[in-house]
Amino acid sequence: MTRIVSIAALMALLGAAAALAAEPPTRAEYVGQLEAICKPDAAATQVAMRGARGDLQAERLGVATTKFSKAARIFGGTVKRIAAVPRPPADEAKLGKWFGLLERQESYLRQITAQLRGGKAIKAQRLTARFIHSGNLANNVVLAFGFDYCSFKFSRYG
Amino acid sequence: MSERRRRAARRALGALVIALLAVAVGAATAGGERTQVGHLIVSLDGGLAPLALPRDHPAPVAVRLAGGLRTTDGTLLPRVTRVELSLPGQGILDTHGLPVCPARRLRAATTSGALAACRDALVGRGRLKAQVHVPNQPAFAVHAKLLAFNGKVRGRRAVIFHGFAANPPTVVVLPFLLRLETGRLRTRLVADLPPELGPWPHFAQFEVNLFRRFRFHGRERSYLSASCPIPKQFTAGFFSFAKASFTLAGGRRVGTSITRSCRAR
Repeated sequence: MTRIVSIAALMALLGAAAALAAEPPTRAEYVGQLEAICKPDAAATQVAMRGARGDLQAERLGVATTKFSKAARIFGGTVKRIAAVPRPPADEAKLGKWFGLLERQESYLRQITAQLRGGKAIKAQRLTARFIHSGNLANNVVLAFGFDYCSFKFSRYG
Repeated sequence: MSERRRRAARRALGALVIALLAVAVGAATAGGERTQVGHLIVSLDGGLAPLALPRDHPAPVAVRLAGGLRTTDGTLLPRVTRVELSLPGQGILDTHGLPVCPARRLRAATTSGALAACRDALVGRGRLKAQVHVPNQPAFAVHAKLLAFNGKVRGRRAVIFHGFAANPPTVVVLPFLLRLETGRLRTRLVADLPPELGPWPHFAQFEVNLFRRFRFHGRERSYLSASCPIPKQFTAGFFSFAKASFTLAGGRRVGTSITRSCRAR
């Protein structure tokens, strides 16, 4: 009998724990979780892109392309990881729009890399304008979240 | 208008002029880039004119900066103790041979009085709108005209902002010291705000356009010059154009930066 009661108590505890774990995060908790993911990636982007401007200036397109490629990989990885974090239900629509813009940015970064690899500077230049524009739009969507590392900052890209 | 309202307006205007430079602006600034920290939103907009510039040597340009500082919940703005406005290092700010306006000539001067005293040193114009909240009184708006003059403060180059509002009659003179530092945005204008300005400004929009051509030793010069140093295979380039930072009472800093493009000609 005692054993049955203990098992029932344990089950109840586990159930409570599961319910707690499934509880959606508040906006503040969500921002904290995302910033922890974005912080190292923002630093890695800066390292990867260091000197890219100078490389383009010196017409070292190959070197610049490698840097853009690395940045695109980091960006894609970050988006994938932060997209997996449970979202506050009240912010679902806003965050859905934000992730849409982040995916668009990721796509532009990949396209920039491809165009630079193909020596098509003007196309890469146009895509850069779109990449920056999408970044600014994305920032505006989540302005109230007060992101720092998860917000788009052009200065991180060389 | 009561002396209290007038004093409050003066304080508000002072803080905003500062912020203004700090963020610099125009008529309505909902655009530009924005950053939110807590309930405080910093906005910054602006650009270069002309957009098409030589790749290899600087040409005269005008710089427009516009922005604002506001709260999301309508509460009073925190007191700002310092405003910094940073511009790209590849731009050139040339004051060689440009007359200097002593700040004392601007104190207590209307816009026309300030122009009469220092027109030779004029380097820009702008506007400022502030909503002022005085305890136990309804909020009221202050619309001020701004003038920017080439100046010197303790031997260092400065941009001296003069703000004048007719109703209530308010004059504020605020010097921004010019600092040349390291980094991409290394031309920095810094103004320290005296604490007596107080936390009156509730909402602010501002705009400033800096541009001045002048002659020195028979040669045409420009207060501001810039190039668009991009590689031959590109026709346009992107760069960090400006950054506005506000230091709040207590030491917290808020700011935002903007990216702009130039075209090679």
